Amino acid sequence: MALVALQGIHKSYQLGKTEVIALKGVDLSIEAGEFTVVMGPSGSGKTTLLNIIGCLDRASAGSYQLDGQEIGHRDFNDLAEVRNRKIGFIFQNFNLIPVLNVIENIEFPCVIRGEGGKTLRQRVEQVAAEVGLTPQLLHRPDELSGGQRQRVAIARALITQPQLVLADEPTANLDSTTSKQIIDLMLRMNREHGVTFLFSTHDPRVMEHARRVVYIHDGAIVDGTARAAADVAKMKEITAHA
Amino acid sequence: MNNLIRIAVRNVLRNKRRTLITLLALIIGVGVMVSVRGLLNGLQGSMIESTTLGQTGSLQVHKKGYLKNVLASPLDLDLPSDAVMLNKILAVPHVTGVAPRILFGGMVNLDEDTLFVQIFAVDPLREFAALPKRKELIAANAADFVSGKVQNGVVVTDELAKGLLSGGKRKDFSAPTAILAPDRDGALSAEEAKILGTMTMTAPGEKKIALVNLALAQRLLKMEGRATELAIAIDDIDNMDQVNAGLRQALGSDYEVHNWDEIALLFRDIVYRQNVVSSIVSAVFMILMLLGVANTMLMSVLDRTREIGTMMAVGVRRSKILTLFLLEALTIGVLGALAGGGVGGLAVFYMHERTLRIPLPTSPIAFVVVPFVTWQYIVTIVALAGVGAVVFALYPAFRASKMRPVEALAGG
Repeated sequence: MALVALQGIHKSYQLGKTEVIALKGVDLSIEAGEFTVVMGPSGSGKTTLLNIIGCLDRASAGSYQLDGQEIGHRDFNDLAEVRNRKIGFIFQNFNLIPVLNVIENIEFPCVIRGEGGKTLRQRVEQVAAEVGLTPQLLHRPDELSGGQRQRVAIARALITQPQLVLADEPTANLDSTTSKQIIDLMLRMNREHGVTFLFSTHDPRVMEHARRVVYIHDGAIVDGTARAAADVAKMKEITAHA
Repeated sequence: MNNLIRIAVRNVLRNKRRTLITLLALIIGVGVMVSVRGLLNGLQGSMIESTTLGQTGSLQVHKKGYLKNVLASPLDLDLPSDAVMLNKILAVPHVTGVAPRILFGGMVNLDEDTLFVQIFAVDPLREFAALPKRKELIAANAADFVSGKVQNGVVVTDELAKGLLSGGKRKDFSAPTAILAPDRDGALSAEEAKILGTMTMTAPGEKKIALVNLALAQRLLKMEGRATELAIAIDDIDNMDQVNAGLRQALGSDYEVHNWDEIALLFRDIVYRQNVVSSIVSAVFMILMLLGVANTMLMSVLDRTREIGTMMAVGVRRSKILTLFLLEALTIGVLGALAGGGVGGLAVFYMHERTLRIPLPTSPIAFVVVPFVTWQYIVTIVALAGVGAVVFALYPAFRASKMRPVEALAGG
């Protein structure tokens, strides 16, 4: 059974008097443990697709099953529960909570569902150690570099042991060395812990490591079957035609 | 909840300048409210003290129906002023003094001049023991009246004295003097009297008033052993209602007992109006301060749109987003009001220690005002500011909680 199963997903919204169609009948299936990249030019609909898969937005039509459960029509409070327990997010701008230190940021998704105490703190320290943040545990986000902030975001995404981690342009604001470190970290998490990653990115370095690339153009999936190493040339070709 | 409180407090401290400005508005507003309330408390306390210890007593006892019929038949509804009656009243707990009086209209005749006057007949020893402030209004030249040495003594107001001296025609009150009035049977009666000195009245309009010895009035009106009212002094004004009940029980239904504010209606009206105006001004202050809090919260929501989106993305429910912003408003409201209450309390304490003297245009005697404010008032204001801050932050907090995660993450 696929972890993520989208069928006939449509998404349109009003921009003034104009109806903008962002997704046109997208069918997509992602298995647990995949390390998948969604690629496409700006405005192609990849962020909209990720938002729907991440339960941050709802499709206008179609079916969305996560882990075998239909969740496409649930209300936002129900979806908050799904986001908290089943999905982790890594954002381009890190999106940490500025008033919380590293420990507090990492444990935040667990704290809001009522977890706490020594067990949680040990788990936070363990995850922080895995992403290489032990020396910065008590630092606030504004005391960290970009790479360190993204590590905190990764740790926060992993602390709830989600079934799926969505990463929207996770390396866009990082230098090449740091980007490589972050990609390696996510690859390791995928390899060692079986965490399913779904990326939206333009970064060829991420593509090089992806085991599957989903190409999206004008709101439709052009090719979602590639399972070998990512084809950078194909991505460039599609982007050039856009 | 503890985590939300922790985040709320940190968020409040996050934009220090904005928080400080909002807090300053609250501190100044609440400080002014507390100071004004303290001043008013002092002023009203002084007015009440001057009324109860200088004019009416804390309570008064009359024959049943007296107050309603005072203009038509002031002398008919009289009551005993003998030792039995007075001792019965003095036996009521918290009563410290009782002063019998007769109030009536009459004339003061000095040689060939006669003036209509309002006459207050008092027993000087009991009157000035029970109402010591009244003594402060009497000039030193009337000391023999105060001591009760002169049984037919009279004290007149400064204005009345000028009238009787006919604008300089006479130099003193040595000419033959008499008090004239219809007695309780309606027959005009006269008693020889002696004007001993002058007194000042505090309220405007009280110009033609004479204070006479009760014994003289009782002879004049043929009311020996009788009075028309008994002014009661008590140990603490807060015991007034308890004493009122005690007096009703001790005296029975033939008598009526009134608290001072049922007698001095003008003062009660002044106090009421002052309190209404003060409440309106305080409410306006409070609303302006809380609008400041609402504005701060609205700016905070707009600044933190992406952060709200992040919180929603990791699973925070709408209700918790709402609670977070309300907690932040509550923190600002309570902190500002507490600090304002402290500042206002200190200002009142300073004024209390210094004691203010407010001169009255109608009297040479200044009002001595000792401002004070109760803890209950400060606690009420702090609670109101806290609750008000939450109410005024409802719109921004609701707006934050109603954002769609995807729009919030995109920055609104």
